[in-house]
Amino acid sequence: MKQVVVHPERCVGCMQCMLACATAHSRSLTLFAAVQETPQPKPRIHVGAGRFNEGFPNRCRHCDPAPCQMACLAGAIYRRDSMDTVMINPDRCINCASCAMACPYGVIRFHEDPLGPVGHAIAVKCDNCSARVAKGQVPACVEVCKAGALTYEEMDAAMRRKTRTVARSMSVDTDPPAIPAGVALLKSIKQSELQLSGS
Amino acid sequence: MFDPRESLSITQDGDRLIAKARQDGIETVWERHEAQQPQCGFCDMGLSCRICIMGPCRVDPFGEGPQTGVCGADADIIVARNLCRMIAAGAAAHSDHGRDLVEVLAGVADGTAVGYKIRDEAKLKRLAEEYGVVTGDKTPLAIAGELSQAMMEDYGMRQKAVKMVARAPKKRQEVWEKFTLTPRGIDRETSEMMHRTHMGVDNNWQSLLLQGMRNALSDGWGGSMIATEVSDILFGVPTPRPTMVNAGVLKEDQVNIVVHGHNPVVSEMVSKACQSPGLIDLAKEKGAQGINLVGVCCTGNELLMRRGIAMAGNHLMSELILSTGAVDMMIVDYQCIMPSLGKVAGSYHTRMVSTSDKAKFPHMEHHEFHPDNAEKKAVEVVRSAVENYVNRGKVFIPVAPQEAVGGFSVETIVGALGGTPEPLIDAIKAGKIRGAVGIVGCNNPKIKHDYGHVTLTRRLIENDILVVDTGCVSVATAKAGFKVPAAADMAGPGLKEICNALGIPPVLHMGSCVDNVRILVLVAALANSLGVDISDLPVAGSAPEWYSEKAVAIGTYFVASGVTTHLGPMPPITGSMNVVKLLTSGLKDVVGATFAVEPDPEKAAIFLRRHIEDKRKALGLDARTVE
Repeated sequence: MKQVVVHPERCVGCMQCMLACATAHSRSLTLFAAVQETPQPKPRIHVGAGRFNEGFPNRCRHCDPAPCQMACLAGAIYRRDSMDTVMINPDRCINCASCAMACPYGVIRFHEDPLGPVGHAIAVKCDNCSARVAKGQVPACVEVCKAGALTYEEMDAAMRRKTRTVARSMSVDTDPPAIPAGVALLKSIKQSELQLSGS
Repeated sequence: MFDPRESLSITQDGDRLIAKARQDGIETVWERHEAQQPQCGFCDMGLSCRICIMGPCRVDPFGEGPQTGVCGADADIIVARNLCRMIAAGAAAHSDHGRDLVEVLAGVADGTAVGYKIRDEAKLKRLAEEYGVVTGDKTPLAIAGELSQAMMEDYGMRQKAVKMVARAPKKRQEVWEKFTLTPRGIDRETSEMMHRTHMGVDNNWQSLLLQGMRNALSDGWGGSMIATEVSDILFGVPTPRPTMVNAGVLKEDQVNIVVHGHNPVVSEMVSKACQSPGLIDLAKEKGAQGINLVGVCCTGNELLMRRGIAMAGNHLMSELILSTGAVDMMIVDYQCIMPSLGKVAGSYHTRMVSTSDKAKFPHMEHHEFHPDNAEKKAVEVVRSAVENYVNRGKVFIPVAPQEAVGGFSVETIVGALGGTPEPLIDAIKAGKIRGAVGIVGCNNPKIKHDYGHVTLTRRLIENDILVVDTGCVSVATAKAGFKVPAAADMAGPGLKEICNALGIPPVLHMGSCVDNVRILVLVAALANSLGVDISDLPVAGSAPEWYSEKAVAIGTYFVASGVTTHLGPMPPITGSMNVVKLLTSGLKDVVGATFAVEPDPEKAAIFLRRHIEDKRKALGLDARTVE
């Protein structure tokens, strides 16, 4: 089964995934119309800033067992085994925030959602784009990531690829560096700037 | 990572006012910068393109996603086009500022610019002769009319080169001819730059960058130079004057008016109105001791250079100054005026006034100044500032002011040397002064406020390198106490000796950011005097905390003029290592100078000292090893 795999070293912090996520969870499914909907759709993936202001796409890990599911007394959170996805039933959610307290990654938000009950805030989080996947599409965040920080692939394949990259980095320097020179240059300058701007 | 408890400025007034602003619930540039993190990596690397709407496009720096835009432009082309458009915008800003001064000069000539006059007839005549205007026994007003027409031609397309290119050393002019870098017309080069970067025009990244240099030169030896020279004609050539700097220049018992922006056309009239006896009496009626005019940013520098008017702060201080609650009115013209200022002022009694038909801002009153009404308008707005004094709430003035000396025009520097640059050259030849660095440019929340400017300046003067500065840097170094003659004690022994002999500080304030051209004129004079090219001189440029497109244009005209230039923050070019390599090393073979990027001012100081010692060696002078 394919899953969304995060490669943090490749995140350039552009936040395209956030826009695409919000659009994919809107009623209109287009960016221009989505921003004018009431309630406004909101992203379920959140790009945070690391120690050196580098981007990090933070999304639900769909844990198993899922602490949020165990904390949900209303029984709104359940596991869809066919997609290996932790889901929230908007009609059963009582907006108690127990799930957010239990979540180690801070990826659950509370707001009125275009796909939830009217006039009522509920818990909202990544659903692995189940609606898109059912139509044969890849998750929206993966589709728009032009830096390869988010991929949609079989976990086995991803692990094999990672193993190969690590293995190759151990050999004598026949390969180009894992991070291109321009990216490495920008990262080192940003680290230097940050050290100077703080203490 | 951002920590609100950490100190964000090396200045005491900065830190205290940041705390005051937080306490008052004011959002400042640092919070907004933090809210923008992480900033988009495509944009940071110059790899996003919004030039046409087949796009927007971006190129994957990791090599797996798209490697070209929809049009087929690769990373090199996209990065070069983006950088060149920054140069065009910077050159346009400076040159349009120059245009406004030429219009005032023309208005003085035909009598429509009421209240403005020719303050320096000798300079008017010198300029007129450079522009080929026959002066004969014509009246100054007639000369001014013809000179303004000739300068307007510089903006157009009827000549082979902008006139003041002739000020550059012959060797430099030959370099420009060889690589077709000679700027033909000020607006022409900006216009051509925008044309070339349109989809489907110039798609050779090297020739794009060459045009970028020609465009920057049309600013440095064209638009900016006109702005400075005409300002001198209209408002006087700066001479050294004592002044005061930092937030302590605001007075608890006076009406405080702050001018912010760049163009002296507005601030000079405001300055005049502030001296009007009627308005001073009105201020006294309202319970104030008088009217206190101070500056922030470059329009403040213009007034400081010519009138010794005090300077409250630089770019990152512009919001903080309002949080003193002591500003009765801030009057702005254009450039570097954060659109947040109106909102900040809303938390206090401060009235915000915008004055330019080109620059309007949220939550500001708009009182449009034109050459024919500026004198009257200035009286009106100063009157409302005075009337606003009674509305003041609690005032917090964080520090006592620091003394400084400003006003070092080229004319003044050469005058102080006895009429020729020879004594300076002799001091350089003898090794007492190793060389000179022009430190220029802005503030940027990416670098701790003023840390880059002050640290670099300190390291350079300690090592007998004369520093000249402009713009936001000049405020930072003045606040740090480098701009009093006694600061010679902070300099190395050679520089100290020269400073004491001439009674000058080791750091010379040369003006606003358009006044960077004074540095060009000075290095051209030094090179001419030695019979060498500018690129042979033991000099360098630096912009340790730059942020703006204008700074890109300035850096580029410095380098294209032969002055190797250090940048603190990285420009958005790392998406193309070809562009990075050309700018940081390849340009040496073209214009004899390059860029260097180093955020850490300690390391930058070593780079600049090495550069200067290398240049000394090449000239056959003694050279020190820099560890």
